[in-house]
Amino acid sequence: MSERFAAASGRTVISRTSAEELGKLAHIVIDVKRGQVASLVVGKGRKALLIAWEQVTGFGPDAVMIADETALQEPRDDREQAAADGKLDLLGKRALSDTGNDLGTVTDVVFDPDTGVIESIMLGDRGEPAASLLGAGSFAVIVREPAN
Amino acid sequence: MSVLVTGSAIRGLPVVTIAGGEDVAEVRDVIYSPEAGRVVGLTLNKRGFLAGRRREVLSAETIRAIGRDAVMIDDESSLILAESSPADLGTPPSGRDVTGDEVLTEGGASLGQVRDIVVLVGSNGAVVGYEIDTATGGIGYIPVPSQLAVSGSALVVPDTTRQFIEDDLAGLGAAVDESRSKLGLP
Repeated sequence: MSERFAAASGRTVISRTSAEELGKLAHIVIDVKRGQVASLVVGKGRKALLIAWEQVTGFGPDAVMIADETALQEPRDDREQAAADGKLDLLGKRALSDTGNDLGTVTDVVFDPDTGVIESIMLGDRGEPAASLLGAGSFAVIVREPAN
Repeated sequence: MSVLVTGSAIRGLPVVTIAGGEDVAEVRDVIYSPEAGRVVGLTLNKRGFLAGRRREVLSAETIRAIGRDAVMIDDESSLILAESSPADLGTPPSGRDVTGDEVLTEGGASLGQVRDIVVLVGSNGAVVGYEIDTATGGIGYIPVPSQLAVSGSALVVPDTTRQFIEDDLAGLGAAVDESRSKLGLP
C-alpha cells in the first residue's frame, strides 16, 4: 500500500516503548539522491524535532511508531533547521522543470510506508515518476521536463 | 514547437540550482554578442526586495537552460566573479548593444530598428531572431540569418528577410521550426 504526504501530515507520532504521544507529524523531508524519505519533523515552531527515517519502526495508517523518545533529535545544522522550519517540505512548493519552465505546484508525494521509497510526485492530477525528481530546496522542486 | 522569449523577459528571472532547488540570484541583464549571434552570459542581482548587484556573473557555458520561468544551473559554483570571466562577458565592449540598431537589407532597405533579441527557450542562450520596430510602425519579429554583418549602429540581413517578418513570437517560433526541418536539424 502506498502512502501520501498530504494524508500523513498531522498523524500522531507514538513511542513504541512508552506508548506515549510525542507529537504530530508536521513535515516529511526527502533525500533526492536516494529517492527516499530521509526524516520526519514532529511538532512545530521552536519545538520542532527530527526523526531519522531509520528510527521509524512503523508508519501506519493511524499512527507513526518510533522506538522511543531518544529518536527525537534537535536540528544540528542549517539544513536540518530549514527542515524543522518546514522550508524543505515539498507540499505546496513550486515545481520547476530542469529547462526552467513552471510545472505548477507539488500537491502530494506518494511513497512506500514500509521502505520510505518515493514513488511519484503529484503536480495537481498529473503524476511524475520519482526518477524524474532532480532536486528539492526551499525555493522549488526540480523535475525533469516532461516529454509531450 | 520552439518556444521563444525576448531578452527583456529574461531579466528578473530567478537563477535556480537544479540539485539544490534554491534561488541563488536573479538575472540583472543579458550579455549578447552580435558577432557570435548568441547570449554569452548573464549579469546578476541578489535575490529579494531592493537587493543589489552580485559581483558574480554566469557564463552561457554553465547555464543548463534559460526557461520561461527560471534560469537553471547545476549549482552555485557556476557563478564566477566578473573579473575572472572571459572578457566578452566580464567587460563587454561598449557600443555593442544592438538595441536601436537599424536593420538594413542587402538591397539597402530599412526593415526597422532592433528592440530586443529573441532567445530560444530551453537553450543556454541561442538567439534565433530580433524583435524590431518595423519601418511601417508596429512590432515585428525577424529570424537571425546565418551570417550577418553588424556594426555599432546597423546590421545587414538578406533581402529575403523581408518575407519572414512575423507578427508575434509564436509565428517566429513556427518559422524557426520550419527552417530547421528544411535544413534537416532537430
